Amino acid sequence: MKKLIPLLFTALLFASCEKEPNLDEVQEDYVVYTQYDKDANFSKGKHFYVPDSVLVVSGKGRGATYLDASDANDIINAYSIQMEKRGYVKTADKTEANYGLQISYVESTYYFINSVSWWSDYPWYWSPTYWWPWYDGNWYYPYQFIYKYTYGSLICEMIDLSSVSEVSSSSKPTVIWNNYITGIYYIDSNMLPRLVKAVNQSFEQSPYIKF
Amino acid sequence: MKTVDYFKMLLVVVAVFVVSLVATTDIKAQTTYKPYFGNVDWQFNAPFGNDFTNRASGWGANLEGGLFVTTKVGLGLFVSYSTNHKSLPMETLHPTATSTLTAKQSRSLFQIPFGVDVRYRFYERSRVCDPYVGLKIGTSYVQLSSYMSTFRVYDDCWGFYMSPEIGTNLWLNSEKSFGFNMSAYYSFSTNKARVLDGHVNQVNNMGVRVGVAF
Repeated sequence: MKKLIPLLFTALLFASCEKEPNLDEVQEDYVVYTQYDKDANFSKGKHFYVPDSVLVVSGKGRGATYLDASDANDIINAYSIQMEKRGYVKTADKTEANYGLQISYVESTYYFINSVSWWSDYPWYWSPTYWWPWYDGNWYYPYQFIYKYTYGSLICEMIDLSSVSEVSSSSKPTVIWNNYITGIYYIDSNMLPRLVKAVNQSFEQSPYIKF
Repeated sequence: MKTVDYFKMLLVVVAVFVVSLVATTDIKAQTTYKPYFGNVDWQFNAPFGNDFTNRASGWGANLEGGLFVTTKVGLGLFVSYSTNHKSLPMETLHPTATSTLTAKQSRSLFQIPFGVDVRYRFYERSRVCDPYVGLKIGTSYVQLSSYMSTFRVYDDCWGFYMSPEIGTNLWLNSEKSFGFNMSAYYSFSTNKARVLDGHVNQVNNMGVRVGVAF
C-alpha cells in the first residue's frame, strides 16, 4: 500500500498541469480592438451612411440573416452618435455619403484572413456591390489582419466610398477602419450599456477619425 | 498567498535543512543503505525579475528519481511544472503601429522544466534525516498567455534550465521506503518570449517543494 501512495500522489499532481486563470474578471468587459489604414484620409467629406441592418455572421450556406430591428437600432445608434460627435453627418442617401459603416454580429467562430480570398467562403458577408452595384471585385484591406472572430463578437468596418470609381480601373473597395468588439454572449436588454461603452471606447482609441 | 507566508515556508525548509545537517550523524551499523532516491512534491513557485508576472503560486508539482552512483552522489531525472498568474486592470495597448487594443488581461506563465538531476547526500546511513544538495540541469518549455474575454494570445519557447536546491528527506520507517521531502530551490532558464506588452527575457524562480519521498 505504501508503494501506491507516491504513485497516487504523482497522478494527482500531474493530472492537470496548466491552470487557467479565473476568467470571470476578464469577461466583465468587452475587448475592443481597432485597426486603421495609415494612409487613409478621414476628412475627405462629412457624410456617412449606415445600413439599417446588422448582419449576423452564422453558419456557411445559411445565407444572409440580420439582427432584430430593435437590437440593430441600438447598435447602429451607438456608432452613429459617435460619428456625429466627431463632426460627421449621417445621411440617408447612400450615393451622397463619403464613408460607409457596415456592422456584423458574429454568431459562430470564423477565421477571416486577408491573405486569402476569405469572402469566397462567406458569400453572405457584406459585398462591395452593396455600396457600388456595378463593382465585381473584392474588399481591399490596406493593413494585415488575421482574425479569429469568436462567438459573440461585433465587427464594424468603415469603407472609404471614394475608393471605387466607375472611371478608374485601379479602384479598390478599401476598408480604412476596422473595429472588433468581443465578449457579447447574447443580445439582451442588459447588453446595451456595456456595448455602448465598448463602441465609445473604439472611438476613444481612434482619435484620427475626425472631420 | 501572501509574500510573507512564502518566506515563512522558505525559512522553515532552510531551518529543517540546517538542523538536519548539524544534528544528523551516520549510524552505519543500524540503518539501511538506500541506493536510490525519489520524490513527488507539491511545488510553490515564485518567478521574479520579469515584467510578465511576479505572483507566487502553489499550482505546481515536481517528480524526480535516480540512483546513487557512489555512496553519496546520485544521478537521476526530473520533471516539474508550475503556473503563475497575474491580473491586469483595463488598459489600452498598441500591438502594431496602426492597431489598438483595450482589454482586461489575465496573464499566465506556464513552465515545464525537465532533465538531469544530480544529488549529493551528506550522510549515507542516517537514521531519520537525509539532508542533500542538488542541481537540476535540462531544458524548459515556457508558455506565456494573455487571456482576454473569450480568447487568449500566447507565445511559447524552449530554453536552457538550471536549478540548485537544498533539501531534506525525513524518513518514517527504518527501511527508508517512505517519508517526506522538503526542499528549497532557485532556478534560471534562458527562455525569451513576448505577448502584447509583457515579456520574459530569462526566467528566474525561487520556490519550495513539499512532498513524499520513497
